[in-house]
Amino acid sequence: MPPAATNPPRPIPVKPGIGLRFQHHQAVLDVRPDVAWMEVHTENYMGGGTPLRYLDAIRRDYPISLHGVGLSLGSAEGLDAAHLERIRRVAERVEPALMSEHIAWSIANGTYLADLLPLPMTEEALAVVCRHVDQVQNHMKRRILVENPSTYLRFRHSTIPEWEFMAAVAARTGCGILCDVNNIYVSAHNHGWDASTYLAALPAAAIGEIHLAGHSVRPLPDGSTLRIDDHGSHVIAEVWALYREALARFGPVPTLIEWDTDVPPLDVLLGEADHAGALLASAEQEARRADAA
Amino acid sequence: MPTLLELQRAMRASLVDRYDGPAAAMLAEHVPADRLNIYRNTFITGVTKALRLSYPAVHRLVGNDFFEGAAALFIAQHPPSAAYLDEYGADFPQFLRGFQPAAALEYLADVARLEWAVNRAIHAADVEPLDLARLAALSPEDQVRVCFVPHPSIALLCADHPVDVIWRGVLGGDDAALAAVDLKAGPVALLVAHGAAGVEVSRLDAAAWRFAAALCEGRPLSDVFAECPHPTLPRERGRVGWGHEVWLAEHLAAGRFIDFRLASCDATGLTASSEAVP
Repeated sequence: MPPAATNPPRPIPVKPGIGLRFQHHQAVLDVRPDVAWMEVHTENYMGGGTPLRYLDAIRRDYPISLHGVGLSLGSAEGLDAAHLERIRRVAERVEPALMSEHIAWSIANGTYLADLLPLPMTEEALAVVCRHVDQVQNHMKRRILVENPSTYLRFRHSTIPEWEFMAAVAARTGCGILCDVNNIYVSAHNHGWDASTYLAALPAAAIGEIHLAGHSVRPLPDGSTLRIDDHGSHVIAEVWALYREALARFGPVPTLIEWDTDVPPLDVLLGEADHAGALLASAEQEARRADAA
Repeated sequence: MPTLLELQRAMRASLVDRYDGPAAAMLAEHVPADRLNIYRNTFITGVTKALRLSYPAVHRLVGNDFFEGAAALFIAQHPPSAAYLDEYGADFPQFLRGFQPAAALEYLADVARLEWAVNRAIHAADVEPLDLARLAALSPEDQVRVCFVPHPSIALLCADHPVDVIWRGVLGGDDAALAAVDLKAGPVALLVAHGAAGVEVSRLDAAAWRFAAALCEGRPLSDVFAECPHPTLPRERGRVGWGHEVWLAEHLAAGRFIDFRLASCDATGLTASSEAVP
């Protein structure tokens, strides 16, 4: 179990937020958009200089979530202590309301492979991930969320369905789950899983955040398609539908719109966030109705 | 059944060394081995982009195709070790110096060296400059024992070509300035630092550069005064304040030091190592 958080900052509200990218730093300060919170990639704020100064100014008005992309929770050779400490220093400065990482790995033989690589779904990998989540939660003195990845391949010797793997990490370490609905949709398509089965297997009480994003579709020579999680377009209708299903199952959860390639003007992100907001509001009504009944 | 470590090393061999065999043998049935290309492309594209962001002038000087080719070779030889990619690519200038296809651009490696210094300055930690009252409070005897700690953004470099002019011209798209560059004009001595207006690259004369370098190495002030040559331009030109003290005042005013220590005195003179001063 993670140690109790010391003096937690303003919590992330159960409303839509947007992924804050460098392109929008100035626009956010100028416009002060009507959005409840923002999330940044921890690795982009590890140095000093302009990015951190923007974030210092922005976080006065918006609760911030720190989303790590490079800690490599699934590395067999252990966590990079220097990187863990860099993350702790960013957190000390930014005072995030949430911190998250991925169920994936990026480092082997001391080489950073610049991607969230798929783990074999084995008892060994589960033990490694849990050990590292414990280590992170102890180092940060707080609970973290772990996110399900998009994957494009699977390993022969995997024995645990990914949804059971996610649930087991949360159960064993006390961490929360960042449920990326687009990633579930993408991986389910790529591997022939049933997305609803995936959602149904996740422990509702552990879900601390939802991610939504666009993805691309790549045709394969055999006539089938592979879906690629490139965060470069609008959330598609099928993913919005799966999001409604997730809200029905988990109840209202803080929801983030991510857009990382071909980043559009801020207004486009805010439009996506508004759409998520409308669905969140109806989920809240549903929840109230259920409580009253 | 492969261990996690074996699997991850096999994937690394596939992505970095393009040796697919062991990783391909671990994939589930019906998963074609060319799926490994997706991850390999993300790796190469992501790390190349990090290099391009750190070396924008080199990128423009050689063009995108050439840059990507050079980057692919460099990445295979010096892959990144951590996800903090702002710190990745320190060895790229040295790689370019030995990169035969770029030999015709004799100044390329030095432009890269300057860009790395600028990159480091951009990402340097924000540190408050030295409070000058602390210096003023020292006795005259102690003042000469001062050894400065430079601001983390500072770099001092020399190059055989006017790389500062080339760098500015390339990034500013200033063709006239580039056309006027005289590659035979002799070496330049540069100071890179994070100033009030962002990262500044200034050209120093040889004596001023040596003086700044000695201070930034943390040499005791008395040694720096004794060993560094005085300004190359004669005092007779009538300008007030040519001398070590004025250079020192400029560095202090620009916030180029963040702390100091006092060198200890022994029989052989001053050695920089000892007392911290609050």
